[in-house]
Amino acid sequence: MSELVISSLSISRSELPVVTEINARVESGSISVVLGANGAGKTTLLEGLSGIIPVSGGTIAIDGSEIQKARPGQRSREGLAHVEQGRTIFSQLTTEENMKVALRDGSDLSEAYGLFPELMQRRTIRAGLLSGGEQQMLVIARALLTRPKVLMIDEMSAGLAPVIVSRLMAAVRKLADAGLAVLLVEQFAALALGIGNRAYVLRRGRVVYDGDCKTLLRSPDELHRLYLGG
Amino acid sequence: MNSFLTPAIAGLTAGGTYALLGVCAVFTYRLVAVVNFTGAAIGSAGTFALIALTESGYPTFPSVIAGILVGAAVGVLIGFIMTRWFAEANPSTKAAVTAALLVGLIAIGLRLTGGQHPRVMPDLFPGSAFRMAGVEVTIASVLTIGLAVLFTVLSDLFLNRTRIGLHLRALSDRPLAAELIGVKVRLLSLLVWGATGAFTTFALMIIAPQRSPNFMTLSLLVVPALAAALVGLFRSFWLTLAGGILLGVVEGLASSVDSISQYRSAIPFLVILAVLLWSQREARWDDAR
Repeated sequence: MSELVISSLSISRSELPVVTEINARVESGSISVVLGANGAGKTTLLEGLSGIIPVSGGTIAIDGSEIQKARPGQRSREGLAHVEQGRTIFSQLTTEENMKVALRDGSDLSEAYGLFPELMQRRTIRAGLLSGGEQQMLVIARALLTRPKVLMIDEMSAGLAPVIVSRLMAAVRKLADAGLAVLLVEQFAALALGIGNRAYVLRRGRVVYDGDCKTLLRSPDELHRLYLGG
Repeated sequence: MNSFLTPAIAGLTAGGTYALLGVCAVFTYRLVAVVNFTGAAIGSAGTFALIALTESGYPTFPSVIAGILVGAAVGVLIGFIMTRWFAEANPSTKAAVTAALLVGLIAIGLRLTGGQHPRVMPDLFPGSAFRMAGVEVTIASVLTIGLAVLFTVLSDLFLNRTRIGLHLRALSDRPLAAELIGVKVRLLSLLVWGATGAFTTFALMIIAPQRSPNFMTLSLLVVPALAAALVGLFRSFWLTLAGGILLGVVEGLASSVDSISQYRSAIPFLVILAVLLWSQREARWDDAR
């Protein structure tokens, strides 16, 4: 059972605190959803977790091993995968080459093709020529091939057609059911809460809700209040 | 006929060096996204290490190896500065930093090597390789062109057929995304800087005896090298190779015409200007409309 434990985590940008004293836990086999309005600190949280920006306080641990001082590559090798927003494919490489970059001992392209068979037909195509949905599948598949314990996905649905978003959400749920710990940052609250287990709502960098996804899904007014305050 | 052929073939040595330096510049640009003005200065450092060692009485071959290692080490040092402090800077800033580092390297190099007085550089590969149309083709010419072709072929094979090459291509496309999936970005970047430093040093060791071997003259070979790289639009190794060789041949031809020979060092600038104007033609056409 893998888990990511975040304790009293604070992150600043240009010395201004953006995320303050966050405590959260992401467990194997579950999806933790991070929600919040624009500027709430969701992306900053993920960037701090993966080491893109330094944290100013607190600890990040995977299976008890603290990683908050490690570089992004080291965190990846410790089992933390970060799918950034904006579909960060290697556009000059083919679909298959994109995935081969991420291959580790014990990982196999067939795992990725099993999850997203669409990519098999497009394996020799330059990734820059894939559709938005295919590119999003590719970055998720690529992250999976690093054999992560924890998969963090930022704004997976941005700019994609609803049918593609549903397809991706189902795939993420499947990954969690297979034992992966997933941390999902999402603008479309209803969709994310629909597949998630635990929800964290951020407002101005602080956790204002930590609880069950289903409870929040049944209380849209409460969610609205948490987003906007009051 | 020979009055043109002789200087053209004489220009092949310089052309091979321009080509190799240009291909190294493209290699650095494509893989670590830096227009590197220090390329030839890095090679000069290694070349002058060779000169210092041979002047101190050390045998030539070990001195060549030591010089190449010094070139690689200086390359790694410059690479360390670029990856440590300027990894996230935009390409213009990175280019400006390497231009500043070039000035610093020249200043240090001139100070350590006795200013602009030419030094005695051992001719590593003296003599003629063969005759072509009655003109002697030197071993140095064959070697520099051979080395440039070899580096071009190896670069292509390395990048397209090896796992490290694949990682380097990913790194050049999106350094952060590559690092996030565990690619050892800093290590690979330093490898690129070290390898280009070593190749550049060897190329300059071959050409130095035919130039006035002072630190500044050799360091400023970066100008024709970047002109060659520009012919390949900083992407194509083969066009850069061709551009470098052609530049050397044209320089050689220019040296045989009395009225223009004194301006031959301006040829790389003319090439740079021509390529930039050509590459901007669509923008100018759009503006005109």
